[in-house]
Amino acid sequence: MADADFQRQTLQHLDALYNFAVYLTRNPPEADDLVQETYLRAFRFSHRFQPGTHLRAWLFQILRNTFLTFYRLRERETAIAEDGVPDWDVPMFHDTSTDEGGALEAHTDLERAMRRLPEEFRTVLLLAEVEGLPLEEVARVMACPVGTVKSRIFRAKERLRALLKDYEKK
Amino acid sequence: MSDELRGPDDDALGRRLVAELPRYTAPVRLRVSIVETTDRPRRPVWLMPLITAAATALALVLFMLPVLPRIAPADPVQQVVRAVVNEHSRALIWGARQPQILPAGLPWLTQETGIDLRRAFAGDDRLSLVGAEPVYLTRLRGVALHYRDVDGHLVTYVALPAERTFTMKERDRVAIAGRYRPMLARDSGFVSWVWKEGDIACFLVSDMASQDDLERFKDYFVRVRVATEPTIAY
Repeated sequence: MADADFQRQTLQHLDALYNFAVYLTRNPPEADDLVQETYLRAFRFSHRFQPGTHLRAWLFQILRNTFLTFYRLRERETAIAEDGVPDWDVPMFHDTSTDEGGALEAHTDLERAMRRLPEEFRTVLLLAEVEGLPLEEVARVMACPVGTVKSRIFRAKERLRALLKDYEKK
Repeated sequence: MSDELRGPDDDALGRRLVAELPRYTAPVRLRVSIVETTDRPRRPVWLMPLITAAATALALVLFMLPVLPRIAPADPVQQVVRAVVNEHSRALIWGARQPQILPAGLPWLTQETGIDLRRAFAGDDRLSLVGAEPVYLTRLRGVALHYRDVDGHLVTYVALPAERTFTMKERDRVAIAGRYRPMLARDSGFVSWVWKEGDIACFLVSDMASQDDLERFKDYFVRVRVATEPTIAY
């Protein structure tokens, strides 16, 4: 069980986790649920956290795993149910269609471009660039080698530049 | 801003992400909700596997219960009663294996079982004889007579050689008609009158276990008891 000190430490990262969740889910109410579930899991498995390691990265890892296992599965089921065949190009989470309740509206081209990136690219940019996590920690969160993280950052930025270029043309 | 992005300057894009990408802060209600959730007393970690294991074991026991061997009663009388009740249940479901008509079938029954029914109750206005047959219960050969009453209850009379250990408990005996004191035994939802006639142990079994039925069952006992006389033939 999580003690009070552990709870206090984890709650210091609430805003960062929420921000990450919003960019993953693109939907604030669902980001709420995702963050809440993340904290529940973190407190439940607090005994597995190794003191001295990066708590922030550990929490990001839980959040992303929760998103991938629970939310993406749900999204995939919906995609299969609608047309009978799996659609691998559907967004991992709810798309930013305007008719969807609670969906987040993009304010800037940069934000819009970020949303169009695949989850792997979005995550790597958010963690490495926005949150400033060391590449080793990003690799741990994403369960891949550091080299893969570097490659993803490079490709993510390339894709982001291309998208921004498109917006400017329009 | 576009010039910055068109070039290979990754750092510039990184800086722009930090500076321009909106940051969303967690709503207060989310923080409150998380704190409330974590403050709630929670079950110990070890409790859930324990409960799961116990529930699984219970489900297995319930599933296996019908096929588990039943514990044989220690009382020898009760053991024979259970065998007689099983025979009655079998007859109730499947009928007699080799039904004989009385009194024509009596010599054959005696020859098969070693029990001679000098007199046998052949039925009356309440009970009608369904059939007679030899039985083999608790490694003893005996005679069974099946009756059906006007309400459709099957009543089975069984006569078996009484072993030395066959001793009825006084406290289970019931006085009937001021003359008889048979033992009342209950097993598996059935009731049995148990009594001895010389070296023969006699049983009268039925499903008339309720208080009202029991009064009628006493009457059946009297009818069968007075009109049936078993002895050891050889």
